[in-house]
Amino acid sequence: MEEIVRFLLEHPPFSQLPLLQIQRIASAVQIEYFGQGVQILTQGGKPASFLYLIRRGSVDLLRERNGVVEVTDTLSVGECFGYVSLIQGKPPISTVRAREATLCYLIPAALFHQLRRDYPSFAQFFARSITDRLEQALQQRHATAAPELFQTRLRDLITEPLVTVSPDTPVREAARRMREAQASALIVDLPPYGLLDAGSGIVTDRDLRNRVVAEGLDYNTPIAQVMSAPAITVPADCLVFEGLLKMIEHGVHHLPLSDGGQIIGVVSYRDFLRLQSHNPLLMPQRLVRAHSDADLRAYTEQVTATVGGLLDAGARVSDIGRAVAAAHDALLVHIIRDAEAALGPPPCPYAWLVLGSEGRYEQTLRTDQDNALIYADNAPEGAEAYFEALAERVVEQLVRCGFPRCPGNVMATNPQWRQPRSVWQNYFRQWISVPNEEALLQTAIFFDLRPVYGTLDTEASLRPIILRARDNRVFLGRLARAALRQTAPINFFRQLVLERRGDQRGVIDLKYRGTAMIVDLARLFALEAGVPDTNTIARLRKSANHSSLSETSAEELIAAFELIGLLRLRWQYQQLRQGLEPSNQVEVDKLTPLERRELKEALRAVAVAQRAVAVTFQTSLIA
Amino acid sequence: MFLFRRRPSNLPEPVSRYLDAPRPDPALPWRDAPYSVIDVETTGLNPRRDALLAVGMVDIDEGRIRMDRRWYTLVRPPDDAPVNPEAIRVHGLLPQDVEHAPPLDEVIPAVLQRLTGRVLVVHVADVDIGFLRQAMRRLYGVEPRGPAIDTARLAWHFQRHQRLIEGSGSEQEPALQLRALAESAGLPVFPEHNAFNDALTTAQLFLAQVSMFEAHGMPRLRDLLRAGGCLR
Repeated sequence: MEEIVRFLLEHPPFSQLPLLQIQRIASAVQIEYFGQGVQILTQGGKPASFLYLIRRGSVDLLRERNGVVEVTDTLSVGECFGYVSLIQGKPPISTVRAREATLCYLIPAALFHQLRRDYPSFAQFFARSITDRLEQALQQRHATAAPELFQTRLRDLITEPLVTVSPDTPVREAARRMREAQASALIVDLPPYGLLDAGSGIVTDRDLRNRVVAEGLDYNTPIAQVMSAPAITVPADCLVFEGLLKMIEHGVHHLPLSDGGQIIGVVSYRDFLRLQSHNPLLMPQRLVRAHSDADLRAYTEQVTATVGGLLDAGARVSDIGRAVAAAHDALLVHIIRDAEAALGPPPCPYAWLVLGSEGRYEQTLRTDQDNALIYADNAPEGAEAYFEALAERVVEQLVRCGFPRCPGNVMATNPQWRQPRSVWQNYFRQWISVPNEEALLQTAIFFDLRPVYGTLDTEASLRPIILRARDNRVFLGRLARAALRQTAPINFFRQLVLERRGDQRGVIDLKYRGTAMIVDLARLFALEAGVPDTNTIARLRKSANHSSLSETSAEELIAAFELIGLLRLRWQYQQLRQGLEPSNQVEVDKLTPLERRELKEALRAVAVAQRAVAVTFQTSLIA
Repeated sequence: MFLFRRRPSNLPEPVSRYLDAPRPDPALPWRDAPYSVIDVETTGLNPRRDALLAVGMVDIDEGRIRMDRRWYTLVRPPDDAPVNPEAIRVHGLLPQDVEHAPPLDEVIPAVLQRLTGRVLVVHVADVDIGFLRQAMRRLYGVEPRGPAIDTARLAWHFQRHQRLIEGSGSEQEPALQLRALAESAGLPVFPEHNAFNDALTTAQLFLAQVSMFEAHGMPRLRDLLRAGGCLR
């Protein structure tokens, strides 16, 4: 009783009523519990006979119009529904469905009407919201939707006419055609004409300058000699954002658009600028002009700022990760080239490796460095000293750009992680054949390696050894057990299990008990399926049906990964904006009901996958 | 077999009405059955030795807890079973609180009147039903009758079910305390050890548990009794 009174006292319009009335309501309410997904009221159905006040949980208001069902609003603790139907005595204008397990206090119709009669402020509270509350909510949702970058299709950006020439066209003729059409790029088409194939190339303004004029080529040179082929193309119906990513990844300024196997037009970097002149995604450009430390530092700051912009624009975390990886890779390459310029050419082939989240294309905010260096066997005398000096320079420069040193010393400056190829191969063989705690820890970092710079073919040198671990049942079993060390923090009632102690009270760690659990599962499935990718989503997608992971489960895990990643990144970005150190410890009460529900669903998907792994790998049987 | 037991004559009317009322049909959809949730405060945990101090009840009709059909009464303990100082710390009732309360032979008929034709719901039947049984035996020589549901037993049913699905290694320790269960179901928890608050918490836990069944289709009373029934 006192509990209900206290709750009513805290929530308008009840809080404005005299205490006596509140006690009267408390002793007249009925309490009902709705499981997730239960339909409480039905649009056009039986009129409501209670005013519903949400005590715990949240509900969706759904409205069907022209056959389309839309969520018009989400109500949570302390909010009421059913009053429109109650006041009008008509069927509900919305369907109300429990978003999650929801407990409601139901105020009987007679009492509700009496309170409206006796207390004008109470009546007004409900009257005001009837009119167009639903309409407003709907409009708000549309208004907050993503801007151009995420709504426009690439085909809508085409402004230049498509100019196509045959490969034997002299460059002077080709340039003339471009001038006539005022095009900044042209497509060089090989037979069969009009079809996009490996022979289709592209020539841009820049190519004419760099490859023809600057090189002093004869203007009668066939255009095929200066074209880039095969051209990097994207489907015309991709979102502008995806096109932008593609440009960044490949360092190009023009993208031919394909549709049904045909090139239908070319969009340029300038078209993107026109659309989003302030969008900082076009950053790798700035690097070319960056020379001082300050320039580089400004560049990394800009990347961080971009993450916020992308988040606000509604990008998926995986897309942000790819964009950030492209930007950070560009920076890294720039820094390594500077170091090479200072130290002279490398004495033998080598590769600079990034590990962990960077290796998986999943770094969003700047984190600690995780890198390593691999160089050819039988390196000449002095190679070791050269790479030591190179590593020192690069790591130092990265620190200056805002990437702190790895506390675990997993960096190329550590001699252990700067070794010839055969030593690296032995490392991997050792970890797999003796999978102790230490080894499992290392695999979590080094299995996710990705070469960013250098000519040594790392993938061919190391990946086959990694993938051979799939035949080692003991190793797989250990890896499975390690992947289950953290369990999804969700209980049988689908409630979040929160930390209960000390200053960790009420928080959930969205890394260790969120994204990291999915990363570990994906690494396991990829290994089981023999998938060489490092990216978590790619691993899940490609190992579905080729490992113990089903397609449905893969999709659920991917969605869960995006969602938890998004919550985590939003949280961290908010902290950054407030000048705080970003953390993974999310205070659950600060999440919206929608976020909380989505988090629960995501964690439930993880829990289901973990249970399946426990069964498949019999993790409880491995001592 | 109930019919063959000799029933004492001269029972108060509420008691005989309680014993004669038809039982709710187990085939009913759970919502169509009426429930009464009960919780008691006592001087101790032994129904033979300790005395009832308070009874809290609340009804559930059509799947809704009826605050307008709640009931709470203190009970005057018999002179030979004074309030145990140990238990005061738990329920906070002092001898003077119950001094002028109605005695057991007034309270029990009232309880039985409220229970007539309804499904009894308790948390941990041994205690609540144990005290009711002891009082009914002593006063009238009769037994409480079902159907009755124990929410602790329902919780145990779900936990066992979950362990079967998950295999070992479940993180959750089986905890059957009312407060722990209510919290893990995300329910508001009322101050404990007041017979009415505990009855209300039990009622809410019961609804949450039923919704677990509802995920697999509308349960019938029979399904709830199979999982959590505690009295014939």
